[in-house]
Amino acid sequence: MQIDARRYGLWDLVKLPLQAGPGAAILTGLNSLLSGIVPTLHVVVTASFIDTAIAVLQGSAERSEIYSRLFAVVALIAYSWVSGSAAKLASTKLGLALQEHYHTAITEKRARLHYRHIEDPESWDLISRVTSRPEGQLSDGYNLLLSMAALIFRVLGVLGILISQVWWAAVVIILLSVPLFALAVKSGKASYEASKETEKYRRKSSYLSSILTSRETVDERSLFGYGDPINEMWHERYETARKIEHRVRRKWFIRTKIGSLITAFLSVLIVVVLLNPVLAGDLSIGLFMSLVVATFSLVQMMSWGLGSYVDQLAKFREYLKDLTKFAMLEESDSAQMLPADPAPEFQSLDFKNVSFKYPGMEKYVLRNLSLRMEAGKHYAFVGVNGSGKTTITKLIAGLYDNYSGEILLNGKNLREWDPAELKAMLSIVNQDFAKYYITVRDNIALGDVNHIESDSDWRVNRAIDQVGLAAAVEKLPQGIHTPLGKIKADGQDVSGGEWQRIAMARAIANPAPLRILDEPTAALDPVSESELYQEFERISRGKTTIFISHRLGSTKLADEIFVIDEGRVLEQGTHQELMALNGEYARMYESQRSWYN
Amino acid sequence: MKARPKTQPKTRISLTAIVWRIFKMVIKACPIYFTATCLIGVIHGLSWGLNTYATQFFFDAVATAVTSQTELTMVYLGLLALGGVTVGSQVLNGVHNFMAGALYGLVPGHLVKHIHRKAARIEPICYESPDLLDDINKAEKGAGSSLGLLIVVVVLLTFYLPYFVFMGWYLYRLKPILLLSLVFIFIPVFITQLIRGAVHARLEDESAPLRREVDYYERCICDREYFKETRLLGAYRFFRDLYLTALKAMQQKKWNVELKTNLMEIGMRMLTLAGYFGVLYLLFTALMNGEISIGSFAAVFGSIELMFGIMEEIVANHIGGMTRDLATVRNFIRFLDLPERSGDTERVSFDGGIKFTDVSFAYPGSETKALDHVNLTIRPGETIAIVGQNGAGKSTLVKLLTGLYLPTEGTVEIGGVDSRRISPESIYKGITGVFQKYQRYKLTLQENVQISDLQAQDENHLDAAVAKADLELDQETFPQGYETMLSREFDGVDLSGGQWQRVALARGFYRVHDLIVLDEPTAAIDPLEETRIYHKFAELSKEKTAIIVTHRLGSAKIADRIVVMDQGRIVAVGTHEQLMQEQGKYAEMYQAQAQWYAG
Repeated sequence: MQIDARRYGLWDLVKLPLQAGPGAAILTGLNSLLSGIVPTLHVVVTASFIDTAIAVLQGSAERSEIYSRLFAVVALIAYSWVSGSAAKLASTKLGLALQEHYHTAITEKRARLHYRHIEDPESWDLISRVTSRPEGQLSDGYNLLLSMAALIFRVLGVLGILISQVWWAAVVIILLSVPLFALAVKSGKASYEASKETEKYRRKSSYLSSILTSRETVDERSLFGYGDPINEMWHERYETARKIEHRVRRKWFIRTKIGSLITAFLSVLIVVVLLNPVLAGDLSIGLFMSLVVATFSLVQMMSWGLGSYVDQLAKFREYLKDLTKFAMLEESDSAQMLPADPAPEFQSLDFKNVSFKYPGMEKYVLRNLSLRMEAGKHYAFVGVNGSGKTTITKLIAGLYDNYSGEILLNGKNLREWDPAELKAMLSIVNQDFAKYYITVRDNIALGDVNHIESDSDWRVNRAIDQVGLAAAVEKLPQGIHTPLGKIKADGQDVSGGEWQRIAMARAIANPAPLRILDEPTAALDPVSESELYQEFERISRGKTTIFISHRLGSTKLADEIFVIDEGRVLEQGTHQELMALNGEYARMYESQRSWYN
Repeated sequence: MKARPKTQPKTRISLTAIVWRIFKMVIKACPIYFTATCLIGVIHGLSWGLNTYATQFFFDAVATAVTSQTELTMVYLGLLALGGVTVGSQVLNGVHNFMAGALYGLVPGHLVKHIHRKAARIEPICYESPDLLDDINKAEKGAGSSLGLLIVVVVLLTFYLPYFVFMGWYLYRLKPILLLSLVFIFIPVFITQLIRGAVHARLEDESAPLRREVDYYERCICDREYFKETRLLGAYRFFRDLYLTALKAMQQKKWNVELKTNLMEIGMRMLTLAGYFGVLYLLFTALMNGEISIGSFAAVFGSIELMFGIMEEIVANHIGGMTRDLATVRNFIRFLDLPERSGDTERVSFDGGIKFTDVSFAYPGSETKALDHVNLTIRPGETIAIVGQNGAGKSTLVKLLTGLYLPTEGTVEIGGVDSRRISPESIYKGITGVFQKYQRYKLTLQENVQISDLQAQDENHLDAAVAKADLELDQETFPQGYETMLSREFDGVDLSGGQWQRVALARGFYRVHDLIVLDEPTAAIDPLEETRIYHKFAELSKEKTAIIVTHRLGSAKIADRIVVMDQGRIVAVGTHEQLMQEQGKYAEMYQAQAQWYAG
């Protein structure tokens, strides 16, 4: 099942469940519709039972005749109970099917999204809305439509019997129902608008709540003692949202109640209308009584049902609009591709007058940046935060392609490269590298995902030795097969420094010829960090490496250093050359060195 | 590698205790509204009973009128009564539901406020224990369910109970045995729902870990945290396979349980059906024997079904929901009962300095000592640098210095007063800090700075703090000046790491203090910036007691004295020159760092 890029409408609330689990969907549908007919049958059967009882009482029927009627009543109840249980099962099955197919399709779409949507907060908001409980949304929507259909059947059924007795009752009822329906529709829209307005306040109060209770903020919260004032702020936002909703609810209630009062009068009217025939003997007492009971309960159902159904329908329509927008989001061809095997050779990388700004942003992060890198060499990028260093790596990785200028990889335009080959060319360890809560072995073997199954553990163990992780791994209960994190019951926690080494090991296990390290060693002390860089550089002999850092100890190892400032290359050269230049680099270096004089 | 802390056994709190606690909280929050809602509920419940009675009366009148051709006054009277009760019932229904809904909006606000209040008062050390984090996460959910729980209990007592009592009395008056047999057929329903509830609860427990796995693997594919890396590694298929395997296992479990419970339910219902048959027959014979009127017969017949439906709803939805919610509500109450740190309110003066006497500290549930027999005296007005490698215990020492944690052994005296004796607020009052993991609040610039001392609102102070931190308020970066929202999420701006660092510094300086802590602030900043910050800091803390934590030995030189830590112990204390002369651990570390800048 796939999420196609097309418009999604109310009809899809039926179509998609049918696609995901046809058997279960049909069963649930059938059951709902039949349950709409049951009340009508119930009226007839009950009437028959009462009439027969009265007849027996009056002596105009045999006592034995009651048994068949009794049996019919009980049989009807038996049916509704058994079908109820069957329906529950079918509903569960449908839910599972939707989870298996629809939810997975949504996840797949998410995985294919163009990277820009991940960093853009608006898209991310949309994605969060659509992907929270997607199978629940669909099954709720489907059930809603079925309930509405069942209600209609029920109404028609009871109406049918009524009309067969008093034909003009139908006209009266229909006339009075129209304004009722209109009322319900209007209220549905209003409450939806209100929830959009309160959304803003809710998000803010939800954020404030997280500040007040999270573990990350506990130090500042305790020391600064801001708990109580922020609590007041939170309550204020919360109350604002609540009051708006309260006002809307009140209006909705008044409208619905007026509606149900009208229907209550209606049902009394019906009873009055039926009075004549029953007194005249045209209508049996049994039928009269069961009709009255049915009408009253129907009225009860309608007065609630209609309003809340329309309400909910409005919410689902919004969900489907969101789903449409989501389905139309731009995808990236390379998203799910495996890296090419074997990895291509790296020869050169050229940036020629590259300018780039993030989609939706004003400021240019890269301005006419030009540089050249060659195979087998070891490069360092240094510069202040925000100078564009990380953005360069994002462009090399092909995450964004809306840049001007040219990027040539091995002389060929980056945009023309086969995405699988590009993936296999690069290995990046980011500042915010991923800590996967899987086994140590898998964490590292993911660096070479093409061989993750077939690879024997020795390669992983070698990488572990090279990053100095062997001692720590030995302490783990299952060695490299220990799951990390708290997802599995026997999962173990490791320290931040150990995670960094795991990330390094992953990069080492990666067969890619071009390795980028983007400040992954934030938490390490300068000595450990420099040693690690040194080690990494040594292991990567033969490959091309790029270190990004603002700590200048390790830059001395580089064959060439690029000083990036304001999106362009300010200075470049070896450490000695840059020191001789006495420019920005020299200044930065001196300020660090001055500490040690 | 941190050892996994042991899980504490959870105390059991009874249902009645829980309901009583919540009741007290709700009554305090909205006394009038709540009582009114309950009263209306009672009347609403009675009106349903009255409805049956009115229906019976009306039907009787009609039946008599038809069979005996008597006059119609009774019929019209009956109709009037029935109409009146129906309309009244509808109105009550609306009002009752509206008020209940309003409560659902009002009360959780107050309950969650309690949670926030509590979260600010429990010991910071508690946040290291996974149990507390569990409780906090569930406490909010529990607060939401609390009102539901209370209302279920209240509704059961004030709405359903009167109804059933009324109906019971009514039926008993008609024919005693009816009442008995009705009770009888309800029993299987009850049992079924109870079993269903228990089975589902167990399924929840067993499938929770599987569900965590499924959710996690999905996050590995989709979440921002993992997205970039999963894509670049080409690891989509790997995680998708893990996801599908876990999903299938979880679904299989769920299906098995559902199948079993539904089959059991059908079985029980067949039993009930037999009883139903019996009751109907009883009714019929009663009618035949003239014990009950036709009207009563029809009315009761309709009512049995209604009662049945209500009973099912009570047990399945209400009681079922209640048992589900009970667990989270218990977490909520347990959270509210956590011990807070108390103590005497005393003015602490830092003129006495800080003194550590034989202090040891271990994290909860851990065997290893993070601090091991530490002795240290900090003189007032001194600037101290605490250095050491990662894991040496620097941050832990700071937490004990600032009173955030209390020692497990030994005493920490702040201004001559034992930190255990006085209230945390008294200790915190003169202390401020710039934490390593300073927070980037999604609030305005002003709020981000003033959050360190919200009680004291002083515009001049704000300007001074911002100036001290060298934070420039240029139009481009801060278009709305102090009112600029510092987060794109709330339609604001994004700041760079360096700018955030300055905001954090301003925050630290803003708070009135005698002691200031600067904890490894330069993680994300370039060298020039870093140098500037350390120098600035040294300059600004000349009259105050200042503590810097760093692993960059060069910057420690701005301090009057340097404290060298290794594996939870203080291995050396002195000035830079003294420590270099000693040729110990410090000198070793210093050389190792300095050599990178040689030549």
